[in-house]
Amino acid sequence: MIRKEINRISEVGKALISVEGNPGVALNHVVELLNAQNNQSLSFAKAINITEDSTRFQVFNGTQGLNTKTKIRMHEVPLTAGFSYNMLGRSFDGVGNVSDGGPEVIFEKQLSTRLDTLNPTVRLVPKQPLWTGIPMIDVFNTLVKSQKIPIFAGPTEPYNRLLSQIAKGAQADVIIFAGIGLKFDEYHYFKDELSKSGNMDKTIMFTHLAGDSQIKGLMLPDVALSVAREFSDQGKDVLVLLTDMTNWSNILRNVANYQDMIPSLQGYPGSLYSELAKRYEVAADIEGAGSITIIGATTLESLEDPVPDNTGYITEGQFFLENGKLKLARSLSRLKQQVNGNTRNDHRSIMTAMASLLADAEKAYEAAEVGAANDPFSQKLLRYRTDFINNIEEPFGEPIQLEDAIDMCWDVLRRHFNPTETGLSKKLIDQYWEKN
Amino acid sequence: MNDTKTKRIGKLISIQDSLVKARFYDDVIMGETAEIAVDGKLLQAEVLQISADPKNADAGIVEMQVFEDLTGAQIGDAVEFSGTPLSVLLGPGLLTSIWDGLQNALYPLGKQDPYLKPGMKAPALDEEQLWDFTPFVKPGDKVVGGDAIGSVPEGRFEHKILVPFNFGKCQVKQIIEKSSVNITQIVATVIDEHQKSHDLKLVFRQAVKTPIPFKERAIPKKTISTGVRVIDLLAPVSYGGTVGNPGPFGAGKTVLQHALCKYALADIIIMAACGERAGEAVEVFKDFAELDDPSTGESLMNRMCIFGNTSSMPVAAREASVFIALTVGEYYRYLGFNVILLADSTSRWAQALRERSGRQGDIPGPEAFPMDIPDQIKGMYQRAGADSGSGGSLTFIGTVSPAGGNFQEPVTQATMDSTGGFWGLSQDRADAKKYPAIDPLSYTTSVYDSFISYADREKMLQTLHESNAIDQTISTIGLKKVPTDKYVVFQKGLTIDFCVLQQNAFHDLDACTRPERLKIINTAVQNLIDTPINFNAEGKDDEQLKEMIKTKFDELRQWWKDWNSTAKNEEQLAALPAKIEEFVLQEEYAL
Repeated sequence: MIRKEINRISEVGKALISVEGNPGVALNHVVELLNAQNNQSLSFAKAINITEDSTRFQVFNGTQGLNTKTKIRMHEVPLTAGFSYNMLGRSFDGVGNVSDGGPEVIFEKQLSTRLDTLNPTVRLVPKQPLWTGIPMIDVFNTLVKSQKIPIFAGPTEPYNRLLSQIAKGAQADVIIFAGIGLKFDEYHYFKDELSKSGNMDKTIMFTHLAGDSQIKGLMLPDVALSVAREFSDQGKDVLVLLTDMTNWSNILRNVANYQDMIPSLQGYPGSLYSELAKRYEVAADIEGAGSITIIGATTLESLEDPVPDNTGYITEGQFFLENGKLKLARSLSRLKQQVNGNTRNDHRSIMTAMASLLADAEKAYEAAEVGAANDPFSQKLLRYRTDFINNIEEPFGEPIQLEDAIDMCWDVLRRHFNPTETGLSKKLIDQYWEKN
Repeated sequence: MNDTKTKRIGKLISIQDSLVKARFYDDVIMGETAEIAVDGKLLQAEVLQISADPKNADAGIVEMQVFEDLTGAQIGDAVEFSGTPLSVLLGPGLLTSIWDGLQNALYPLGKQDPYLKPGMKAPALDEEQLWDFTPFVKPGDKVVGGDAIGSVPEGRFEHKILVPFNFGKCQVKQIIEKSSVNITQIVATVIDEHQKSHDLKLVFRQAVKTPIPFKERAIPKKTISTGVRVIDLLAPVSYGGTVGNPGPFGAGKTVLQHALCKYALADIIIMAACGERAGEAVEVFKDFAELDDPSTGESLMNRMCIFGNTSSMPVAAREASVFIALTVGEYYRYLGFNVILLADSTSRWAQALRERSGRQGDIPGPEAFPMDIPDQIKGMYQRAGADSGSGGSLTFIGTVSPAGGNFQEPVTQATMDSTGGFWGLSQDRADAKKYPAIDPLSYTTSVYDSFISYADREKMLQTLHESNAIDQTISTIGLKKVPTDKYVVFQKGLTIDFCVLQQNAFHDLDACTRPERLKIINTAVQNLIDTPINFNAEGKDDEQLKEMIKTKFDELRQWWKDWNSTAKNEEQLAALPAKIEEFVLQEEYAL
C-alpha cells in the first residue's frame, strides 16, 4: 500500500507540530515523521485537532530536530498496541516498542488503544479478597480483586517499596508494570524486586523515564492497559501497577498547556477527572473472563491538590502512606464490605472499634500538645496511639495471616483498655477478651 | 413529524475532542440533535451554537458536542440534523431498566459486545414485551396533551398511557379494545385542530430540557422515612423536596446513596449515576435486585431504573443523563407516583459543562466553571416538587463532590442556594468512622418537618452543640478544669451521637429505623437530655468521680448499641426508655 505523504509543517512547538490545511488525516490517527533527505523514520505522531485550515499532531519522540521540510506519512489507523505472550518478562516504552535492548517481539495481534468503556452489565460485583499479609490492609482496608486503588504518598515516602511488597504477594496470573516519569533507580528497583520474587516471567514492564518524550509518557497507560485488558479478556487475572499517576497528570497538564487549553485548577485541564477515570475504570472483574486490578501511586504535597483529589473520587479508596507507615485515618478500601463480612465474626467490629479509639486518641494527642490530656483515659489513649502506630500501621516486614493480625489487634486493645471502653459488644468481649 | 421536509445536512470543518464544527447551507435549530457519519458509524451530537461563516456568506457554522468517541472522524464527514431536541422515550417498561446516559439499554448492548463502542445503539425500551392495554376513552372524545387514553399494569403500578405533552386539543378517531400490545403498535389515532392525524402508541418521546408540567404544584409537606436516623430526626426531607449532599471522597456518599436506594419509602427510585464509578452502579443493579423492597417485599429493582453514565463514558453524555433522568422522574410524578431521584454526582455534571465551555473558549467563571453554573443548578433542582393534582412527587437528592472537600467551591455553594435540605458529610467524622458522616452541627440544614417535634429536634441539636463545645474546652484546658455537670452534658451528647446518630449501614436491623422506632428512641433521648443526673460523689475526688461517670456512660452506650442491633419485639423495644429512666435516676435508686 502506498501511503500518502506531505511536507508542509507550518509550526513546530514543544511536543506538538501543526500543518497547514487539512491533509486528509482523521482524528487520533497516526502519522510517521521522516527525514526529507534520507527518508529515515524520526518519530510517530497522532492527530489531535483537525480543522479545514490546520491539523495538529502530538509527536511521540518530541520535536527536537524536526524542521518544516520534515515529511509526514499517513498511516490511516489509530495507535495500536502489539500483543503477544512473548512480551512476558520484557520491557517496552510508552508506545509499545521494545526498550530492554533485547530482540524484537513478534506480535500476534494489534490491539486498539481507545480503551472503550466496559459495558457495566458484564461487570461482576467484586467479591474475592486479595490478601497482602499487611495487617493495615487485610484487617482494616481489605483489598478486593478488580479494585482500583492508589497509594497516596509524599514524594519522599517509600511508595514504590510498598507497591512492590503488595505485588510480590499478590495472586495474579500476569503483572503489568506501568511506570511514568520514573527515575532510573526506581525502574531498576522494580525490576530487581520482581526478579527476586520470581515474578519476572509473568511481568511485562512498560516504562517511561523522567526526561523521555512526554507524549510517550502520556500514551503509556493506554498501551499498558490495552495489553492488560487483552490478557483479562483471555481469562487471566491481571494486576496493573501504575506509578506515578501524578507524573502522568503533569504531562497531561503540559500538553494541554501547549495546546492553549483553558486551565481549570492549578493549570490542569478541565478534563483531568475524565482522563484519570478513563484509565482507572479499566479495572474490572468481567463475566466469563478474567479480571484487572489496578494499584497506583499518586505522589502529593497536599490531599487537596487536583490530582489526588480527583483520583480519590475515581478510585475505590486509597492507601495513605506517611512517615513510612500506612495511616488508618485517611486510608480506605471501598470494597472491603464486600469481603470482610465473611471472615471471622469479630473482623468488622474490631476494625470499627479500633478506628474509633484511634480518632479519640488523635484528639488526645492534639490536646497533649497544649498540656490538656492529663486525665487517666487520655493517657491510656496516648499509649494506645503509639502502640497502634508501631505495630498495626507498619506495612513492611514478614507477612501476617488475617487471623493472626486480628488477634494482634485484640492484644493491643487488651494492653490499654477495659472491655467497656472499647465500644465492642458484650458478645465479642465474652468470646475474645480472655486470651485462650 | 419532519418527514415531509428534505434532509438537512452539513459537513465537518473542525474536530477537537468531543467538540466539532460543521458548515451548513439551509437552516439549523438551536439544541436539535444530529448524526455524524464517521467510518460508517452514526454518532449522536447536539447543537450548541450557531454562527455566521466568515468564509462563505451563503453558509453558516454550527458548533456541536458529540456524545461518542470521535476517533477516525475527518474533515468533510457528513452531518445530518434531526429537527428534534434531545429527548427521552417515556412509557411502560422504564422500571427495572438500566441504560447508558443516552437511554441505550445496557443489557441488549452487552449482548452485542462487552465493550461500548462508538455508534452502538439499543432500543430504550423492550419492543417485544406485551402490555395489557385498557382504553379509557372512545372515538369522538376530546383529549389534550397529558390526558390518559388508557392504562397498562407495570409491575404493581397502573401505568397510564398519555397523549404526548406537546399535543394541543385533539379528538380521538380510533382506539383499540382491551388487548395485549407492544410499544411499537398503534393503540389510538387522534386528530388535531388542523385536521392532522397522529398515531399514538404506549410510548412517546419527550424533550428533556423542557420540564413536564405539574398538574397542581404544591409545597412538599409529607416527610419521607429514609430509615437513616440522623436524616429523619435532624435533617429530614419531604416528598417533592430537594437535598444537596456534599462530602469529600471517602466520607460515605456512596454508602448513604445505597442506603437510600434500599430503605427510603417511595414508589420509584431513579438513580442517575453521573460520571461516577461503574462498580457502584453495578452493585445496585446486580446486588440490589436480590434485596426486598421494604414496602412491598418484591425485588428492589422493581421500583428502580438506573442511568449508568459512568466516569469513563463520553463526557458530553453526562450532561444529558441528568436531564433524561429528571424527565423520567417528572413523568412518573405526573402519573401520580412518589419518585426519588438520586443524582450521583451533580459535580461531575457541572464538570462536564466546564469541560465543554473550556473547549468552546468561553470566558471562565470561578474555578473555570461556566459563569451561569449557579443558575443552571437552580434550574435543575427546581424541576423537583410535589404535585397535589396528580398526587405524585419528585424528590431530588443530588450528591456534590467538592474539589478538595472544600464546601466554598462554586457547585456546593450554588447547591446550598438551591435546595431545601443539605446533608454535609464531614471528613473528621469519616476519619473517626462515625457513619453516616453527616455532621449535624455544620452544613446540615432542612426546611422540612421531622418525625419528631420541632422543639425536640432543636433540643437535641442544642445538646449536641453544647457537648461539642465542652469537648473543645476539654481539649484546650484539660478535663480537670471542666465542672462535673458540664462533663455530664458532654457525655450525654456523646451518647446521642454514638447510639442514635451513628448507624451501621451494613447491619440488617440497625441499617434502617422506621418512624415508630424513632419515636421510642426520641422518648429516651429527650428523657436523657431533660433529667439532671446526680452521680454519687461520696468518697471520690473530682478525677475519680469523672472516671466513674465515664464508666457508667460507657456501659450505657454499650447496652444501647446492643439494643440497636437486637431489639425487635415490643417488649425489647420498650427496654430502651426503661433503661434510660433507670439510668437518669440512678442516684435515687442507689439511695
